Amino acid sequence: MVFAELVQYVVTGLLVGGVYALMSIGLGLIFGVMRVVNFAQGDFMMLGMYLTFFYAVAASIDPLAGALLTLPPFFVLGWIVHRLLLARVTGGDPGRQHDAQLILTLGLSLVITNATTMILTPTPRGIRTSYATQAFALGPVLLNQARSYAFVMALVLAGLVYLFLTRTDLGRALRAAADDPEAASYQAIDVRTMHGLAFGIGIALVAAAGGLLATYYPIEPNVAGNFIVLMFVAVVLGGLGSIPGAFVGGLIIGLVQSLTLLVLPFQLQNTGVFVAFLLVLYLRPQGLFGRRARTV
Amino acid sequence: MRSLSRMLIVALALALLGPVLFIGQAPAADDVKIALVAPLSGRWARQGQLKKMGADMAIEEINSQGGIKALGGAKIVLREADAGDSVEKAVSAAQRVLTREKISAGIGSWLSSFTLGVTEVAERLQVPWLSLSYADSITERGFKYTFQTSPVSSLQAEQALDLVTDLAKKNNRPIKKAAIVGDNTAASMFFYKPLREKLLAAKGIELVVDDVWTPPLADATAIVQKLRSTQPDIVFYGATNFPDSIQVLQKVKEFNVKSPIQGVGAWLVTPEYVKTVGKDVLDNIQTVVAAHPMKGQEELVKKFKQRTGEPFMTQDPLCTYAHVWLIKEAIEQAKSADPKAIRDALAKIDISSGPAVSAFYPARVKFDERGRRIGATPLIVQWQDGEPYTVVPTAVATRPVAWHK
Repeated sequence: MVFAELVQYVVTGLLVGGVYALMSIGLGLIFGVMRVVNFAQGDFMMLGMYLTFFYAVAASIDPLAGALLTLPPFFVLGWIVHRLLLARVTGGDPGRQHDAQLILTLGLSLVITNATTMILTPTPRGIRTSYATQAFALGPVLLNQARSYAFVMALVLAGLVYLFLTRTDLGRALRAAADDPEAASYQAIDVRTMHGLAFGIGIALVAAAGGLLATYYPIEPNVAGNFIVLMFVAVVLGGLGSIPGAFVGGLIIGLVQSLTLLVLPFQLQNTGVFVAFLLVLYLRPQGLFGRRARTV
Repeated sequence: MRSLSRMLIVALALALLGPVLFIGQAPAADDVKIALVAPLSGRWARQGQLKKMGADMAIEEINSQGGIKALGGAKIVLREADAGDSVEKAVSAAQRVLTREKISAGIGSWLSSFTLGVTEVAERLQVPWLSLSYADSITERGFKYTFQTSPVSSLQAEQALDLVTDLAKKNNRPIKKAAIVGDNTAASMFFYKPLREKLLAAKGIELVVDDVWTPPLADATAIVQKLRSTQPDIVFYGATNFPDSIQVLQKVKEFNVKSPIQGVGAWLVTPEYVKTVGKDVLDNIQTVVAAHPMKGQEELVKKFKQRTGEPFMTQDPLCTYAHVWLIKEAIEQAKSADPKAIRDALAKIDISSGPAVSAFYPARVKFDERGRRIGATPLIVQWQDGEPYTVVPTAVATRPVAWHK
């Protein structure tokens, strides 16, 4: 194994992982704040891809900019979905509400996928960008331009979310609502609003990740299926509810997927991911960045 | 909580009403129902959509020309079932559609892996089944009700290899190194198998890359990097899942890999390829298919394009169109809509003209005792200027073949 080739595998893995990471932090945020497992997360990503495609076709907006422009409408969409649907099954007795949440998000996922198939047809679409088929050359190592841009933007967006959560009052209120909803409400924090905010941000982030993905990946109604399992693995790997954890989890998945190919045939690419996942769960059940569950 | 139950009631009502709203007129009692089990959702939904376009066109033609004459002008009605994206879903779709009402014959299910499952259901329920799938095993199980109109994968491999070695020799670039790149769905696997086991070695060709994945493919860098470093003289290519294939082709362009690509299957010649990767990447890529519009079919293609708005016609609508017509012919001969009688008619049928043979080369439908169409020969289709043309055999080619420079 030549050293440059090894570097290429690592770099490729990290670039792939960057977008996984952005996809996963939205899911991680929603779980962390609301304790909701959102099965429809991948479908909102798919809708984000379509909106980016629409921007590109209707207004000739470059998908990298289009990805950012998905943030506001999807934040609003997330907020509305929370208000109309999720708010009815969150809060209250968590044990009792859990089934309803699972069924609701799973149902939402089915409705979104099939409605999109009906309305937009299953014909795959793609945004043709020059940078999807060009690479930056660092000596013998090639960095695909689309994936590099997507990686950098994912990093910036994740950084902004982190700053928002740790440096602003609203972010702190959000975390307070996540840590202890009851105590937060004593501090005049409207937990329901915080949940809406978290869901809106979570959806907006995954839509933007979809937009970045659309710079090099074809768009079809069922595209979520190719990514949703990896998102969940990333979130659990990083520690349920931890934002940095979800980000690192996404990166690790990309890296493991790529490095697995050094030792295993292609058909077993995702086996590497799940072996790593099981190892982490075995050695550190709370995930890499997770906290142990509180005991009373 | 009360509002939740109200919502659930609304959702349930919609779910129950949905089918009523979307199904058109209820068929009259003497209509002949045929089933189309194809992926209408999931990652192969586009192929199912294309198949349905072909079936709809044939049914409209048959019904507008007076229906099935032997049954007093009975109309054909299509019952489609969604094979989804897994064998389990395909099998349960077939089970559902074939047991809910009397179905005279069926068509499907595009992906060989699905067809293998679906034909088991059809065999058990004794409904004749027409398939365009390639895998050899579809007609190797002694089934009585399965009819395969396409040349099987192993045969396609043999003919594709003969053809490319021939072309390469004529262009003074003999093939010494080959690569196999693609996914592990059944038709692709049956194509690679004879290449690996005997065909390549028999021609003294070395297999330098052999990378097969389970869809979806996360990233194509590693594969294309190998192609770049080994520079095979031909790449046998079987990436049936569109995003996987796009990732590979984008990388091929990015890494400037010049090796000729020989695909296996009609998934490589759908219109969306042009829109997604551009025609310059596609130019000269060729693929071996069971059917593609041939010389003399301009009218049929024109009609299809007008109906559907598709830029060109490919194997999936073409074969399904012919399958519906073939079922019609079998019913005419059987003078009955009974599945067993249709099966017997299909087993005996020998026709070489009309729309029922339009998709096939050579233009004759007669099945052997296994249910394989006798003499079935694949076509080679090649991308030229953003459109796929039949280039081999020359007798039916719509353009001459071009070899990579």
